[in-house]
Amino acid sequence: MMRQQFDRDIRSLDAVFSFLHRFAEEEQLDARASYVLDLAVEEFFTNIVKYGRGTSSDVFLEAVRSGGTATVRLEEQTSVPFDVTRATQTQFDVPFAERKPGGLGIHIAREMLDGLAYEYVDGKSRITLTKYLET
Amino acid sequence: MFSISVNEKGTVVLTGRLDAAQVDRAREIFSGLDDSAVVDFQDLDYISSAGLGILLATQQRLKKGGKAIKLVHMNRMVRDVFKIARFDLIFEIE
Repeated sequence: MMRQQFDRDIRSLDAVFSFLHRFAEEEQLDARASYVLDLAVEEFFTNIVKYGRGTSSDVFLEAVRSGGTATVRLEEQTSVPFDVTRATQTQFDVPFAERKPGGLGIHIAREMLDGLAYEYVDGKSRITLTKYLET
Repeated sequence: MFSISVNEKGTVVLTGRLDAAQVDRAREIFSGLDDSAVVDFQDLDYISSAGLGILLATQQRLKKGGKAIKLVHMNRMVRDVFKIARFDLIFEIE
């Protein structure tokens, strides 16, 4: 298992991607799984940065492969539970001129992942992303 | 690594990875577009919703004046992201 701590800052994204690419290389993830985990982690990490909800704690990433499944977990210390996986739904039925990008990233991540879960335990928010690997 | 440039034909060329940390550079170029243009994705390896938001705003602005951007040479993964976002209904993709 790999684990690393990141500043709660958009400038940490390069380091986040480096972590994910090291994981993908070491665990020989296929290109699609690697892309999907990059995209999903980016969406949730930037969400955590944007909506700090009164905390400035660092964000921890954990990544593990078990057989044909890759799992990445984002964890933050926070006083208020907030399930980002239930964030604003994208409205596809509005006219093009009124369409807004809000919620789009989480919609894409949800569609491309094989599992997405949120839990709040002992003052920590945890988002768990699961992606099945190509055989 | 991400780069964006406009070539001699007026085509916007994207290279590398367009993520949330890079959108300001993309926004700078796209906000300067005032006519229809082609955007070449040939060397773009990655795009997230941050990049999609810039493209959406550009298309909405240009369409008001009867103009549009056309997207070409996407790789399979990037194309899948556009389909899931239903952006294939908003953009001409070739």
